[in-house]
Amino acid sequence: MNHTTTTALPARAKSSRDQWFLGGFVVLYALIALFSGGYFVYLLNLIGIFALVAIGLTILTGFSGQTSLGHAGFFAIGAYASAIFAQRWGVPFWLAIPLAGAFATVIGALIALPALRLKDLYLAIATLGFGIVTQKVIFEWRTVTGGGGGMQVPMPSLFGLSVADGSRMAWVIAATLAAGTWAAFRLASSRTGRALSMLRESETAAACIGIRVARYKVVAFALSAFYTAVAGGLYANVVRYVNPESFDVNMSIMFLAMIVIGGMGSVRGALLGAAFYVAVPEAFRGFKDAPGLIFGISLMLVVILLPGGLTSLLRARRKAAS
Amino acid sequence: MTAELIIGGLASGSLYALIGIAVVLVLQATDVPNFAQGEMAMFSTFVAYTMLNTYSLSWWIALPAAIAFAALQGIVVQQLIIRPLLGSPTINAVIATLGLNMALHSVAGMIWGNLTNVFTSPVADLPVFRLFGVNVSPDSALTILVSVAMIIVFTLILRHTRAGIALRAASQDQAVAKLMGISVSRSFALAWAMGSVAGLVAGILVAPILFLDVNLMAPLLIKGFAGAVLGGLSSLPGVFVGGLLLGVVENLLGAYVSGTFNEALSFILIIVVLIVAPAGIFGRVKSTKV
Repeated sequence: MNHTTTTALPARAKSSRDQWFLGGFVVLYALIALFSGGYFVYLLNLIGIFALVAIGLTILTGFSGQTSLGHAGFFAIGAYASAIFAQRWGVPFWLAIPLAGAFATVIGALIALPALRLKDLYLAIATLGFGIVTQKVIFEWRTVTGGGGGMQVPMPSLFGLSVADGSRMAWVIAATLAAGTWAAFRLASSRTGRALSMLRESETAAACIGIRVARYKVVAFALSAFYTAVAGGLYANVVRYVNPESFDVNMSIMFLAMIVIGGMGSVRGALLGAAFYVAVPEAFRGFKDAPGLIFGISLMLVVILLPGGLTSLLRARRKAAS
Repeated sequence: MTAELIIGGLASGSLYALIGIAVVLVLQATDVPNFAQGEMAMFSTFVAYTMLNTYSLSWWIALPAAIAFAALQGIVVQQLIIRPLLGSPTINAVIATLGLNMALHSVAGMIWGNLTNVFTSPVADLPVFRLFGVNVSPDSALTILVSVAMIIVFTLILRHTRAGIALRAASQDQAVAKLMGISVSRSFALAWAMGSVAGLVAGILVAPILFLDVNLMAPLLIKGFAGAVLGGLSSLPGVFVGGLLLGVVENLLGAYVSGTFNEALSFILIIVVLIVAPAGIFGRVKSTKV
């Protein structure tokens, strides 16, 4: 599948603009976390968590053009691994989540090996298979995961202070998201990021100028799995109860929808897509059956009216201003 | 025992094959993997159900009317949603079909509710019969026969009618097809109509076996995609064999290896096959110019 490329801007101008955007996002996040409570903070946390997933998927699909329909698998691995580390061995959550991320990174790299030869729909179906197998393993490995009955996640605490109540978790997620976003912006303009973009444009051309295609695909899968699993770990600590049923094919498909809605290949787009994914169905929660209808129609409208995703709105306005 | 498992596998496999063919007809023409195929099929199956049960029409009226509805549904989707997206990245069209999938799902829930309905099979009165010493249920026999007939009809349309040949030309090269006086959007509409009808037929065949509700087609869609990829997306016979193979393998694995892991095992098998043959078993690897 072909993907739109982000418009070429001078590197320095782009990065300073990105920093403003990132700064604005963090300030907004902090204001909501400070001045509102309860359900709003919960939604905000979800947006932050899914934004991390969207950034992870952007690295794989947006930068390097590899379509994945199995990211719910990495998300589930992150959620379950961090829950199991915390529950079985009493690992504190701030250590359990990165450990889960590291574990998923290894799995991501292993998944990349069979995926090296596959493209487009074939790759999509193979990754979809990975998601289904992961969900099934969690379902059946009852002694470790609790099977279909799900699993409680211990109270996350930091220096004896519970992080579970109020908006404290929002700060943890905001900090992780800020770090993840910053790292993704850096990655995009680094040697690795440019190599990944080259893979998306043409693998043959990339190989011709000396980019090791196989190695960079493995890197893309591993990094993407890390982001997604960290998000999964945070998710487990926010909802405090995980259940294999939620990590299904639909979730993987929605992850992909997020980055297309936001704007393929741009980190900004990933953040916007996550916000869209959480906020739009939430706005129409009151009507029976309506959230699916409205979200479905809005997916269609966005891709038809804004082929570059929501982020192209920002870009168009800027172009008009200058 | 094994023979019966194989017959059962062939029956479910031919459903996968029908859905796979519905997807591949559209994919070859427009390059869009249609993720709305499942809910489009579910929706038109409900239309058939309403005509048969609510208005108690006979099969002879309800079936042609449902086929006409399915064809129209495919054409409307092509003209309204896919046509504006031709030329933009494929992934955008994929997301549009996902959106359509969700929208149809909730509209069907609003109209028909989320309850399970009994869809009476057209061959419900026939007894189980024996063929070469193997028990065959009439539903399995009907499913296999109808699917094979559909594949033959589609192949004949594509090979021997003007519209079918125009469709193949338009799938190969839109610009050249236009220069030859072919209406590309009409050809694509034909592909969508054929895909939608294949989905309806699969829906009508599976509804008596699994009961009819709004979640009927989602698992079947994934199996359809998987079977198509297993066989290779470049030829209709390949897709058909891939679907059958998936059905049979799934049934045998379920009976002899593990009942709970059969779906996971089938996907592991697909991944292994794809490692060896990255374009499916019967797929040709397209050589691309740099």
